Amino acid sequence: MSERYELEISGLVKRYSPQVTVGPISFDVRPGEFFSLLGPSGCGKTTTLRCIAGFESLSEGSIRLAGERLDDKPPHRRDVGLVFQNYALFPHLSVFDNIAFGLRLRRVAKPEMRERVALALRLVELAGLGERFPAQLSGGQQQRVAIARSLVLEPQILMFDEPLSNLDLKLRIQMRDELRSLQRRLGKTSIYVTHDQTEALALSDRIAVLSHGHIEQIGTPAEIYEKPATAFVAEFIGSSNLFPARIVGYATPGTIVETEAGMRLCCAGNGEAANGEQRGIAVLLRPERVQVHAPGNGAAGPNRFPGRIAEVIYLGEDLHLGLELDCGQRLRAALKNANAARGFAAMQPVEIVVDPGDIRILSR
Amino acid sequence: MSIQATSASLAAEPRPTYGAKARPVWALLASPYALFLLVLLIVPFANVAFFSVHSYSPTKILLPELTFDNYRKLFDLYYLRLFGRTLRLGLITTVVCVLLGYPLAYFLARARPRVLAIGLFLLIMPLMVSTVIRVFGWIVILGRKGLVNQALVGLGLEPVKLLYTETAVVIGLVNIFLPFMVLPLMASIERIPPSLEEAAQNLGATWHQTFARVILPLSVPGLISGCLLVYSISISAFVTPALLGNSRERMAAQQIYDEVLVSFNWPSASSLALALVALTLVLMFWALFATRRAGRRERAA
Amino acid sequence: MSGRAPAALLPFVVLVYIGLLAPLVVVVAISFGPSEAFEFPPRGFTLHWFSEFFASKSFVDSFFRVSLMVGVLAAVLATLLGTAAAVALVRFRFFGREALETFFLLPLLVPEILLGAALYLLYARLSVQASIWTLLWGHLVICTPYVIRSVTAGLIGMDPRLEEAAMSLGATRLQAFFRVSLPLLRSSLLSGAIFAFIISFSDINLALFLSGPESTSLPVHLFSQIQWQGDPTIAAASSLQIVIIGTLILVVQRIFRLRLMV
Repeated sequence: MSERYELEISGLVKRYSPQVTVGPISFDVRPGEFFSLLGPSGCGKTTTLRCIAGFESLSEGSIRLAGERLDDKPPHRRDVGLVFQNYALFPHLSVFDNIAFGLRLRRVAKPEMRERVALALRLVELAGLGERFPAQLSGGQQQRVAIARSLVLEPQILMFDEPLSNLDLKLRIQMRDELRSLQRRLGKTSIYVTHDQTEALALSDRIAVLSHGHIEQIGTPAEIYEKPATAFVAEFIGSSNLFPARIVGYATPGTIVETEAGMRLCCAGNGEAANGEQRGIAVLLRPERVQVHAPGNGAAGPNRFPGRIAEVIYLGEDLHLGLELDCGQRLRAALKNANAARGFAAMQPVEIVVDPGDIRILSR
Repeated sequence: MSIQATSASLAAEPRPTYGAKARPVWALLASPYALFLLVLLIVPFANVAFFSVHSYSPTKILLPELTFDNYRKLFDLYYLRLFGRTLRLGLITTVVCVLLGYPLAYFLARARPRVLAIGLFLLIMPLMVSTVIRVFGWIVILGRKGLVNQALVGLGLEPVKLLYTETAVVIGLVNIFLPFMVLPLMASIERIPPSLEEAAQNLGATWHQTFARVILPLSVPGLISGCLLVYSISISAFVTPALLGNSRERMAAQQIYDEVLVSFNWPSASSLALALVALTLVLMFWALFATRRAGRRERAA
Repeated sequence: MSGRAPAALLPFVVLVYIGLLAPLVVVVAISFGPSEAFEFPPRGFTLHWFSEFFASKSFVDSFFRVSLMVGVLAAVLATLLGTAAAVALVRFRFFGREALETFFLLPLLVPEILLGAALYLLYARLSVQASIWTLLWGHLVICTPYVIRSVTAGLIGMDPRLEEAAMSLGATRLQAFFRVSLPLLRSSLLSGAIFAFIISFSDINLALFLSGPESTSLPVHLFSQIQWQGDPTIAAASSLQIVIIGTLILVVQRIFRLRLMV
């Protein structure tokens, strides 16, 4: 059973004080998987990472690496590589010596050490920079050294603590793509901690969304985005129209809900996500799934609403529309700035259409 | 007395509001103290230099001829022994301060704020209490019936003569000057991000390996500062060796005191004093320079 | 605390602290003990030596008439001198500014005992008698740098645009300084003054050379008493000094960054 999973976290609890507790947290990571811990600050993702690395002790629970108990080992004897948020490069050592640090501790012979360091430098595309010092490198280069330093020891899993947060946007996107291709190439099981949902979606095979010390949902990026399990996940990932509502009936093809503002929607599915709640539910409608047409042009379907555009937010590539339906419900639509959308203006009457399959019912 | 703080204020950017105007207001503000220092710091030492090149006479204190005899005398056996002893005791004090002070500095550098506040208070408060009082306490502890001997006798051993020996002087000097080693060292260690220690451990280093390969090398600037600081004030210490040591095994400052206030051989005292001041200033400026260079290198990183 | 420092670290640190504080603890303990020979641990409790202290004219004079008075005067004057100097160094830019700053902090680099000897020799040459004033001038030399350091730190931490804002509202430079900057510098001034007092009050190295028969400071009096085998009145006087200084340091720690001062 434990052969199937590289890393097993079971019931991890870290108690800082009676009021501040992280956990219980449980998840498993498969070999070669890129697994992200995603959540806002204070959600417990960094605590979990530090527990795996051994810098925090568990109050309860266990951590297993390839079947073997990990949490009873001191940090320097765990076979996990950690790339720190501020890179933590040794300023008094050259790039070569930084990367060779772990090899020296393991008494690796000089020729082999030189080979392995050279290989690691090539992997992160920093060949030839071995004699430089961290202070002479750019942020992106420093980060690659940090990665190389962990990789050269060939750890069983590699962990990243918000590694891209210190880089500016363009560089962040570039490094993100490089990280992904590197990980795919090496097939190294990786755990990635971030608060940036775009990063998590772009990089991960699976994501665990955390909030207030608990896991809200674990799933693939598509699962998390399309089928959020809770209102928190729905709001944290992507932008959303999230309305409190209640179930008012069942009909083919699905469930009828009514929002507080009086908008009646027909949702696909039998609303099992509501967990039996009739009144305390929420409906999720992604802005990019809201279809905006000129009056009379909308496709046929159970969810057609007349309304008008309250405001147009011009974002260059995208257009965000603030819409107000005749029944009083306000919602947002996100369109690409192309075709018919280019003609939209405030006060313009429109027809809103929503496909039942694009609506999700969540418990509040 | 900290080199650290002096260097910090020297390296700080001025935030001028007024700029250099036609009427130099800064001169008005700075001159009272500048004049004061001139009269009460520069002139006295100029006077000392003046004395040092004259001859001593028991009746007239100064004879009008100029001479370098007083400096030549410094190479006599008596003075060489004196210097040797002073420099040796200073060195021993510095080494012991490093051994005792480094763990303390590391502890405080990584301590939680409340622990740090208490630790700093307990470190600095004794510094501010007059040296006489602290040395008095040691006289009681090291005396024949003092704490140390009480303990030895209680263990069935012979009482040891500690007071009025070189050992007592070193104990006293270490006790008084330990904070001057701890503070610059602590500042240096504080600048080492804890994540570096964690990174080293993550790469497989035990705490001892982390210390030797990461913390120690990066704390060298503070270590140098602390050593130079402790060394230079140890070699010019007076009260501690005067009360805990004996007259035969004296340190340089005791000799100067003697020659000034007892034998009134002011020229001789002057040459000795100048030699000591020169040595001290060299060491202090070296420490200042080393700290500033380290600060500059860090800012570039 | 990150990492796993060896378990022996804390006990070692505690031991070092015990060693650091031992002499002070011993002195305070003796001051309450009944024995005339400095006995530790003391076998009883008495305030006898404190009453001896207040009964002894030489002790009381040295404590109140000399040390306390010189200390207060030194604090006030050092604050005036030092604040002016600090403002000149921080708020103005002129040729040789860094050199002047080094010069102003020079007293911190010179061994006090040698400064004392040098001052004594100068006074002797100029036939100036030892008095409270000679002591005070000497103390000002070593106390003012602490005020300069404290006020410099306060000024640097203060936004100079506050004064500019006041001036744009009609204040002259002087008014701006007194109404805006000075109140904001309160904690720096207070810390500097308190430290100047402490330095003056506990000084022994200068006072050994600069004290006269009418102007013997407390530490000098203690010094001679110790040399001539006095009684635990010494300990009582010392305890009083320890309490005063300890309290003042606590006050400074509350209002300012203690580390900066040393």
